[in-house]
Amino acid sequence: MLGCFGLCSCAREVQRIPKGFLSLNQRDPALSGNGKKLALIVDQNGRPTVQLKDLRNGNIVPLRYLSRHQPHTSPSLSWSARYVAAITQRGNKRLGVIEDRLTGTVHKLLIPGNRIPIRLSLAPDGRQLAIQVADKGKWRVEIFDLSRKIDPDLPVGIRGAGS
Amino acid sequence: MKISFFRKIPIGLSSVLCLLLLNACGSLVMRPIYNLNGIIFKSSTSYREPNLGTEWLATLVSKNGKEKIELIDLRSRRVVSLPGINSSDSQPISVSVSANGEKLAFIRQRAGQTEVLIYRRKLGTLQRLEITPKGVPRRVTLDASGRVLAVQVSRGGNWQVDVIRLSS
Repeated sequence: MLGCFGLCSCAREVQRIPKGFLSLNQRDPALSGNGKKLALIVDQNGRPTVQLKDLRNGNIVPLRYLSRHQPHTSPSLSWSARYVAAITQRGNKRLGVIEDRLTGTVHKLLIPGNRIPIRLSLAPDGRQLAIQVADKGKWRVEIFDLSRKIDPDLPVGIRGAGS
Repeated sequence: MKISFFRKIPIGLSSVLCLLLLNACGSLVMRPIYNLNGIIFKSSTSYREPNLGTEWLATLVSKNGKEKIELIDLRSRRVVSLPGINSSDSQPISVSVSANGEKLAFIRQRAGQTEVLIYRRKLGTLQRLEITPKGVPRRVTLDASGRVLAVQVSRGGNWQVDVIRLSS
């Protein structure tokens, strides 16, 4: 079990997916848990906007709420990308949201103390959410339990999940 | 125009529409897991760039001016040892963890180079990934299995995203 901590440059293990991601200024990538979808921030009409791509065919998957309320930052996806979390702008406030693509609903994330969300990370099953906030001159991370608030997004076979 | 449209809708139907609109946009009043957050996160330390697996959290931690990668087991509420990852001459930039906490992908600056590495905890190995065409990596994300990763790379003044599949 004692590992080698030297560098192994096993480049032959790497296989690039030829999907032609040629458009410019793509940033903030987030993969779905199953590795089939990718969320990015791209500029749409000059506004940073979440874009969801299907890696199997390169198609853009439409989003309802997350086509507005830009600028967007820090997208994060659940297992099947049923849930798309991101930080959006509402008026002069930054607001974290979770768009449920299966039901078409949007959950606004009300963080105690009205602190400003900086980055989000959704667990693959959607049961937990980590938020980086600014607090008294420091970055803090807090974990939130979503298991009683939204349905889990699990692989098919473990329990029903969104597509 | 919009007001006249709504005036024509019967009161019962408009109530249903209002309920549908309310349902379509709810608010989650977030409750931090106080006993967990209080135990894991120390007030004297700065934490950023969180990335969740299933019951695992990878994050960048800054203490006394030095930044390092930490992996936290949320079930046992303990920081897991990562031998070989945090060297004194390197600066971590981004980190991501597989769902089971076994594999980490991270970006670090070391000796003037910015590189993407894969760390396998069971084997204790570090694997450097070549970025081709050449570019400067900025952010990395893993899927749940740890077999697919996406890397944000700067090339010629533009940000691009590479998707890379690992065979194991």
